[in-house]
Amino acid sequence: MADKQYAIVLDTKKCLNCKACTVACKFENFVPVGDDTYRIWVTEMPLQGKFPRLHQEYQPSQCQHCENAPCEKVCPTKATFRTREGVVLVDYKKCILCKACMAACPYDARFVSDLHEAVEKCTFCMHRVSEGREPACVETCPTKVRVFGDMNDPASDAARLLSSRQHYQLKPEKNTRPRLFYLA
Amino acid sequence: MFQSLDKYRSMIRINKDVPSMPFIILGAILLFLGFIGVVRVFWQGHEAVYGVTRQVPWGLLIATYAYFVITSTGLAFIGGLGHAFGVTVFAKMSRRIVLLAFIILLAGFTQIGMELGHPFRLLYLFILSPNFSAPIVWMGLFYSIELVILAIELYVVFNPSGTNHKVAAVLGFFALLVGIVATSNLGFVFGSLTARPFYHGVYFPMYLVVSGIAGGAALLMLIYNIIYKFNVPDFYSDAMAGLGKLMGICLGVMIFLLSWKIVSSLYTQPQDSVEAVTTLLKGPLSSHFWIGEILLALCLPVALLLISRVKNLKALGMAGLAFMIGMFFTRYDFIVAGQLPPMRAGLEGAGVETIAGLVQYSPSVGEWMVFALGLGLFLFLYFMSERFLVLDEQTRQ
Amino acid sequence: MIGNKMTRRKFLGISAASAAGVAFAPALTRVVRASEKTNDYSILPKGKREFIASNCDMCVNKCGIICEVVEGKLHKINPNPKNIKSRGMLCAKGNAGAALPYSPDRLKTPLLRTGKRGEGKWKEISWDEAFKLVAKNLADLKEKYQNRSCVAFASTEGFQEEFYYYLVNSFGSMNTVRHTTLCLSSNIQGWSSVFGVFPDADLQHAEYVIMLGSDRAQALITPDSVDFQRFKPKGQKLIVLDPRFTETAAKADRWYPVKPRTDQAFVLALINVIISENLYDHAFVETYTYGFEELKNLVVEYTPEWAQAKCEIPADEIRQIAREFAYHAPRSVIYPGRRSAFYPNEVYIRQTFAILAAICGCWDTIGAVVPKSSVKLNMHNVIFPFFMLSQPRVDKQAVGLVKDVVPDSVACPMVGTGLPVDSCAFLSEKDGSWGSFREAVLQDNPYPVRGFFCFKQNPVQSVPNVQKTLTMFEKMEFICVIEQQMSDTAWYADLVLPHSTYLESWDPVHNLGGIEPIVEFRQPVIKPLFDTKTMFEIAGGIIHEMVKIPSLWDDIEPADFEAFKKDILEGVLDKPIVEYIQHQVLEYPGAFEELLKEGFYTPDGGKARYGSTRNPDFRFKTKTGKIELFNERYKEFGLFPLPKYCEPSALPGPDQYRFLVGRTAWNTHTSTQNNPYLWEIQKENTIWINTAEAKKLGISQGDEVRVKSKVSEQTIKAYVTEKIRPDCVFYVNGWGRQSPWMSQIYKRGASESEILEDVLDTISGSMCMHETFVTITKI
Ligand SMILES: Nc1nc2c(c(=O)[nH]1)N[C@H]1C(S)=C(S)[C@@H](COP(=O)(O)OP(=O)(O)OC[C@H]3O[C@@H](n4cnc5c(=O)[nH]c(N)nc54)[C@H](O)[C@@H]3O)O[C@H]1N2
Ligand SMILES: Nc1nc2c(c(=O)[nH]1)N[C@H]1C(S)=C(S)[C@@H](COP(=O)(O)OP(=O)(O)OC[C@H]3O[C@@H](n4cnc5c(=O)[nH]c(N)nc54)[C@H](O)[C@@H]3O)O[C@H]1N2
Ligand code: SF4
Ligand code: SF4
Ligand code: SF4
Ligand code: SF4
Ligand code: SF4
Ligand SMILES: [Mo]
Repeated sequence: MADKQYAIVLDTKKCLNCKACTVACKFENFVPVGDDTYRIWVTEMPLQGKFPRLHQEYQPSQCQHCENAPCEKVCPTKATFRTREGVVLVDYKKCILCKACMAACPYDARFVSDLHEAVEKCTFCMHRVSEGREPACVETCPTKVRVFGDMNDPASDAARLLSSRQHYQLKPEKNTRPRLFYLA
Repeated sequence: MFQSLDKYRSMIRINKDVPSMPFIILGAILLFLGFIGVVRVFWQGHEAVYGVTRQVPWGLLIATYAYFVITSTGLAFIGGLGHAFGVTVFAKMSRRIVLLAFIILLAGFTQIGMELGHPFRLLYLFILSPNFSAPIVWMGLFYSIELVILAIELYVVFNPSGTNHKVAAVLGFFALLVGIVATSNLGFVFGSLTARPFYHGVYFPMYLVVSGIAGGAALLMLIYNIIYKFNVPDFYSDAMAGLGKLMGICLGVMIFLLSWKIVSSLYTQPQDSVEAVTTLLKGPLSSHFWIGEILLALCLPVALLLISRVKNLKALGMAGLAFMIGMFFTRYDFIVAGQLPPMRAGLEGAGVETIAGLVQYSPSVGEWMVFALGLGLFLFLYFMSERFLVLDEQTRQ
Repeated sequence: MIGNKMTRRKFLGISAASAAGVAFAPALTRVVRASEKTNDYSILPKGKREFIASNCDMCVNKCGIICEVVEGKLHKINPNPKNIKSRGMLCAKGNAGAALPYSPDRLKTPLLRTGKRGEGKWKEISWDEAFKLVAKNLADLKEKYQNRSCVAFASTEGFQEEFYYYLVNSFGSMNTVRHTTLCLSSNIQGWSSVFGVFPDADLQHAEYVIMLGSDRAQALITPDSVDFQRFKPKGQKLIVLDPRFTETAAKADRWYPVKPRTDQAFVLALINVIISENLYDHAFVETYTYGFEELKNLVVEYTPEWAQAKCEIPADEIRQIAREFAYHAPRSVIYPGRRSAFYPNEVYIRQTFAILAAICGCWDTIGAVVPKSSVKLNMHNVIFPFFMLSQPRVDKQAVGLVKDVVPDSVACPMVGTGLPVDSCAFLSEKDGSWGSFREAVLQDNPYPVRGFFCFKQNPVQSVPNVQKTLTMFEKMEFICVIEQQMSDTAWYADLVLPHSTYLESWDPVHNLGGIEPIVEFRQPVIKPLFDTKTMFEIAGGIIHEMVKIPSLWDDIEPADFEAFKKDILEGVLDKPIVEYIQHQVLEYPGAFEELLKEGFYTPDGGKARYGSTRNPDFRFKTKTGKIELFNERYKEFGLFPLPKYCEPSALPGPDQYRFLVGRTAWNTHTSTQNNPYLWEIQKENTIWINTAEAKKLGISQGDEVRVKSKVSEQTIKAYVTEKIRPDCVFYVNGWGRQSPWMSQIYKRGASESEILEDVLDTISGSMCMHETFVTITKI
């Protein structure tokens, strides 16, 4: 049987901009308080239109777990690697903190962690997934903007959403083939 | 053992007429500042001491690293020309060339060593777990080889029983070759960053190599002027003129490359590339660019070379000085400009702070201290050598 | 959101916030936990790992939580996916709760003031001393004023609040003030005037939703904040009226930046169209309602064209919305919302909403507004003594008092609608009315109030007109504040008692039912970290000291005193609180175990309950027992019985803006701003100013501006945006703090209650927080 291929599908139209996901991630993953230290963010997209015809969307995002991961390629020590499930991770003990991956990532998904003394970023909460739990940001979200699942399992919610709804990825021109899919 | 040491006695001498003391003292002061910087880094950690950020992970230290090591490979190139390609005018400078290249490479290594979070991990991981698709591995490899070659070259050119020219030629050739490969790879370390189109293409590898050679020439022209208190003896006229011409050619190529880089970046308009170039032309880096890169590194040297018709050795020294200062900005701008366009717009919640659409970076005091370490090391070691070693081939003849 | 990035700086490892963060990070034993095929993803310390169910207490919603505790240390608070009220969500604040027990700014031991009030000089004392001190002060005050009501007790809802009332009732004061008149009492009043109760909205099934003056995306209310996006049925339409383009407005199919205070005109016009076009639910109106003809006559003049002139929503769109609303009825919701402390005629505004629901039959059926369900709990039948020296509430007796609080501009037109200006008509006895209470105390009318207790409330920052509250404090001979942190109120206290966090204590069972019935409780997930106590223990401790002072019991029968000690002390407070909890759910076998396991209990799987009142014989809690479109009781009180439109009595003058109040999703009132994980989302508040207006005033993004109202002024940074009407400004409450012990946020941003005027709605006793007009000047 083929390996699982993890992905997150996001329905940003449901996002409340409530920041529950960002705080949940910090606690779950021991990410310290700080303006530069975060694995996940929720961007307020530019306000469209003129008063009173306004429109605004919120775009939650995190590491895209690129299939063609620029960070992985430039990492001199293979500290950054992709698992067979398509999750891009950092082996903290192999990281020399050269920060090439940070410079290479088109999504600004990485940062230097004082705690790990290495570069870190979203792990898709693999430590939770391996216990059969959802990633912290997915679980906590009031409106369940994010759906985490196995693209290879047609019965998974993620796969079903991908097959039934139009979607897009961020910065397709970078040919990174993200595993974060945004529903149109 | 002692006998063999005895041999080297002829290499040692106190050169009172060389104005080395001020530079040694300056070097020692800078080293001391650098030492404080190092202690701070070990005490407080990189994150607290350096001004680099999530959006601009590479800052002053990568720039100073590039500044030093690329100049070193430029010197190795010039040395190689002399040894391997029979461009004999530079032969009489070979000790200084090799010594400068070696020391300045060491200075560069201090910068990267302090920049890396885990320099010691690197030592074994490059062997245990190298990722050959990563340009850093190649760059690291070639610069390491370069250091080894330069070390051997040092041994060869300082051999009291006379330089074995065949060996020197082979070494010189490899120093030149590895230097070019290493520096162009350094260019590709940036060129491989998917995120940053500004660095993509052949421009930076070429520009770095060529500007490195110009840098090597400039440094030599400056050093000779310093040693001889801006009164370089005629003995070196031909070598100096050779350096001047070499530098002139390099400057020409640089102007050519730079113009096309700017035009093509503006013309083809890949978003972040255009933004990066704009930071240089009229953005936060514009004063660096126009004063440092254009005036000091290009216009002034070109003007001095042209006016002096590459004959006035003082003018060459001045051109070297201007270039070495200007080149510092060139390296800095190259590193920083490419990183200023943010990967995500600085919108509310994005976690990215921008001013006029660009992220900010300015080096911290700690980073300047580490630069002082590199510069201090270079000045101290080199001018100690000037003071105590026999560096002129002339006197041996 | 609101300009938080203006104050961003690179975070160096030395500031207070990171101290808190680091303090919280686990002992840095890096344990690699093998998982799937890779090495270390997480650095959870090795050791005993437990998942304990309880409920959040970072705001009113009490979402279900499952706490991950490792080696006795709380690592993470997770949502409880099974909780039918919170529907598996946990907001930013709920998550940040995990830092609360470990906050360096927590109160850790009882503190007695040694310097002047507000000077910040404190002495640590033992609980024993503290209890004695409280009892002595209570006794002294009672002796001195010969009136137990001379001590007032303020509080806000919470699972331990009932034990605060054990203390209140053991002392015998009638003066209690709760948060409701700052919050939703006018809303409850308005809806209850029609249906006898305050209902919930079935957003999961509604096809058409009109939301006015509620911000469900940021002002989180469960389950609505979840339902209105996650479970919204396909094709549901959402109409939002709000002078600000809120996150909720961003989700709307149509957003109207309604002219503030004129929602009533809009809804009256909807009613007008629905009646005149005969779109109402005839059968329902006939069977269940009272006073339709009177209503019909009233709304004749309220045409869409008339309304357009008031609320600035085009008449044809009003017509269309009316038709759509009627078309989708009964699966149409006019959203009751929560906070309604907006305007002096708020009760009528909310009554109008309720009437719209009533005539369309959008009541107690799937997709409509539905009365709340509850689970009957076993009560502890304790009877408190009758104290001879208890005088009735100050705010109830002080006739003519409200006249002074209701500004002329507001008062005069109100008379026209039949509102009395001499007193608050419908105080809920226990809640009181913050505004009139404070006024009465300030005037010593009818008697002096000289002691003040405060539990889980921060009136200095949550009651408009801070100066008045502080002046009231000056009258007090003894102020005791039971708190978790040194709030601005605690800062001015004489004695501060540290309360345990919700993560360290047992809390009794409470009903939280909406359409689905549910009860919740709390159990400790970690051991108490400091020398803190719960209200249960504090009440017990104080009352034990009180019974030692004979003079405190000389106005009751000796027999009552003995019964009191037996009932209240031996019967409840001396026993373990777990017994109290078990007693509450005695009637439901297995319920206690269920609570321990899940943190909540529902008798029948928590199924939604519809239709309990949809029975022609059902008696609604109104005078006629019917759904009253015409309110008989109002008529009796001399109030206008129908929702007559009341013109805004005062409008912003030239150069003035109406100040609006609202929420952000990542903070609760004035409680949470100092939590580093929330502070990093927003580091200070900023004032929303419409782009065009800002231009007129020469204000650009981030400029410091001075906001000046009749009562005070504040300085704050500008957030220039298209997201607000040109005639309004807004900033969120919770900033501009006076207590230096709120180390992260001390003096950051501006206080809202400082500049808010204290205007009263006399029917519900509610504050009117959107009746303040301010001028803005660039500094
Ligand atoms: N995150 C978070 N959630 C909370 C709370 C919290 O502090 N933080 N507090 C909880 C509590 S106690 C309460 S009471 C609720 C309050 O929640 P809500 O009842 O939703 O009330 P608010 O968010 O205070 O304000 C509602 C909106 O009314 C708008 N408004 C002002 N004037 C008018 C007007 O004249 N007409 C109309 N149509 N709109 C107007 C304001 O701009 C604001 O957006 O939130 C609860 N949920
Ligand atoms: N200016 C302005 N005023 C307002 C509002 C507004 O939007 N703007 N909103 C109004 C509304 S809707 C409401 S509901 C009220 C809310 O106003 P308050 O009821 O005063 O609520 P908070 O401001 O959250 O303050 C609660 C205090 O209780 C403390 N606390 C928290 N948990 C515990 C506990 O377990 N034990 C004890 N002893 N203390 C605890 C917190 O530290 C905090 O200081 O404010 C009203 N006032
Ligand atoms: S988003 Fe960035 S960090 Fe994540 S896999 Fe892609 S390149 Fe790597
Ligand atoms: S910083 Fe670490 S993870 Fe990133 S490229 Fe360098 S070694 Fe790899
Ligand atoms: S998946 Fe886990 S690590 Fe990644 S953003 Fe979500 S919570 Fe953070
Ligand atoms: S938790 Fe969900 S709704 Fe809230 S900001 Fe994150 S993605 Fe948006
Ligand atoms: S809404 Fe947030 S703060 Fe309120 S109870 Fe739920 S999780 Fe806690
Ligand atoms: Mo409230």
